[in-house]
Amino acid sequence: MPVLEVQNLRKSFGDVRAVESISFSVEAGEIFTIIGPNGAGKTTTLEMIEGLLPPDAGVIRFGDKSWGRDAEGIKYNIGVQPQSSAIFDLLTVEENLELFATFYPKSRSAAEVMEMINLTDQRNRHVKKLSGGQQQRLAIGLAMVNDPQIIFLDEPTTGLDPQARRNIWDIILKLKKLGKTTILTTHYMEEAEKLSDRVCIVDQGQIVALDTPSALIDSLTKEREVRLSFLDGAAAAAAADEVARAHHAVVRTELAGDSLQIWTTKPEETLYELFGFTKDRGYRVEQISIREMSLEDVFIAFTGKEWRD
Amino acid sequence: MAAKQFASMFTAQLKMMFREKQVWFWNIFFPIILMVLFMIIFGGSGSSSSFKATIAVADPVPNASSGALLSQLQQIPVFAMKEETPITLEQGREWVEKKDIDALIVLPETEGVSEVGLIVNREREGSATTQAISGILERFIQQANLAAVGATATYTISMDSITSASDDTNYQDFLMTGMIGLSLAQGGLFGMVELVDMRKRGLLKRLRMTPARMGLFGLAGMIVRLMLGVIQVVILGLVGVFAFGANLHINLASLAIAFFVGALVFNAMGYLFSSFSKTMEAYMGVANISSMLMMFLSGVFFPVETLPEWLQAVPKMLPLTYFVDGLRDGLIYANGVMSSTFWLGMSIMAIWGVVCFLLGSQIYRSKSIAATR
Repeated sequence: MPVLEVQNLRKSFGDVRAVESISFSVEAGEIFTIIGPNGAGKTTTLEMIEGLLPPDAGVIRFGDKSWGRDAEGIKYNIGVQPQSSAIFDLLTVEENLELFATFYPKSRSAAEVMEMINLTDQRNRHVKKLSGGQQQRLAIGLAMVNDPQIIFLDEPTTGLDPQARRNIWDIILKLKKLGKTTILTTHYMEEAEKLSDRVCIVDQGQIVALDTPSALIDSLTKEREVRLSFLDGAAAAAAADEVARAHHAVVRTELAGDSLQIWTTKPEETLYELFGFTKDRGYRVEQISIREMSLEDVFIAFTGKEWRD
Repeated sequence: MAAKQFASMFTAQLKMMFREKQVWFWNIFFPIILMVLFMIIFGGSGSSSSFKATIAVADPVPNASSGALLSQLQQIPVFAMKEETPITLEQGREWVEKKDIDALIVLPETEGVSEVGLIVNREREGSATTQAISGILERFIQQANLAAVGATATYTISMDSITSASDDTNYQDFLMTGMIGLSLAQGGLFGMVELVDMRKRGLLKRLRMTPARMGLFGLAGMIVRLMLGVIQVVILGLVGVFAFGANLHINLASLAIAFFVGALVFNAMGYLFSSFSKTMEAYMGVANISSMLMMFLSGVFFPVETLPEWLQAVPKMLPLTYFVDGLRDGLIYANGVMSSTFWLGMSIMAIWGVVCFLLGSQIYRSKSIAATR
């Protein structure tokens, strides 16, 4: 049974349709990532699920609980890290954790949480004196103070340097090890690819793709881009170009001096053919690469938009 | 669990309040500075009844009449003679010109029917001091005339002032209580900026994602602010009493009621401002305007009666007027709980408070900022 189920969620603000019709379900222990361009409706969707915004239509179910009647019970069971790190900045790390802990009937000790988010050394520091990454870790810590089953992280790594980002990834992976379910939104494709069990791409208030990162990438790979460059100059490249174009799997090629770009649906077969040719002629290949497909390509393919970090 | 929650919310807000330097500055130091300034500028030499004028007397041609008048003039306590003995007319004119003296009195040159001259600086011709001097001199001459014909006055005026205050109430007391009222009011008017800040930083939203009771959080904040209010009363009171010799006649019951009702009213007003202010700057603007208007119209620094007549109706509608009056009842007049004017004031304040609170809640709700679940 899914721990979270969302059906036909809709929300408009005046004339603007922020969320058109979103449905998905999340299984226990999953890291479920929602990506999409700015204004795609990610945060609106999350806020409806978190009980902050009433949806215009649609169903949100946490197991057998839904907002309204079971609000209290849902709140006990979820933890939220909102996009703006909302923390009392005149309180210390420990004081913040202790304050939030008293809101719940059962809670983790501040010491335990600080250990998990690696802020034990900063326990007595006022929040406003913490770095951005430390504040973000504390925000995540506050989301897990009630030991929730489901944790919502809204762009936890935005604006952080690579090291700080990696620290947060560690925390997310730790949570997964503990069997927690994480619902994540992010601006970083690399992050979505690395952490997620499943990725949901949202554009203009609708889901345009939803699957595991590898399945999404595979779905795209109708053709791969292969680059070759030759030590024997333009003549060798041109000769190889002819051979490549004759191959049945090649869609198109591009020749520029001594380097050749080939788009092929079966890169291994095309290359086998090409290498046979170069070996016969004694041409020396200087460099060869097959471009890896990433989630970024998936995003571009599905939304038609350039990705901007 | 509610008790535990409340306790931790209270401690947290107490810590935040006292760690914020701005709170100290605006709620404690600023009112003290303001009070000290006003005391120095307007408190003057103390009681306003001690009028004194510096004069000099010229006696160009000494004669029996002028000698008698001179010795009588020297008896008038409010006239301070710059020189005990008469001076020359030229010397006197020079002093008047330089404003070394308020007036020069020229004694008659002949006996019998003659006149007493009064020379003042033209710039000060219409001043209260000049008028007082000429009034005193006129009365003095009148008596001298009566005495000259051997008659005694049939009617005399006896003047005494009365006040509801204890006998030793003076401007220091008035100003000190006004300042206490003003700073308590400002604590409420400006204090709710915290709500705007919390909303902007997403803290209100964040709390609503937890099972925390927002009502308890608000209550805890309220009590913390009341504590700050008590500190304000004590510190400003101490400064007033020990630095400026203000007198306190405390009636604890009316003080407590006025304090409590006032705190609620001005916090409710702040709450209303916070409901429609999108930014902290907008909030501060509204709070500043309202506090400025009330400050000068509500009898904080000067009695309401000194306002022009057409303006007198305004203070009667403002809550600060009644708050300051209520505090004066509790702090210096030591009366109030039994008086109907006290309760009328408290009622008008309560109406302000309730209306502001309801309006604010309505606006919060219509923007669906308030907790819906």
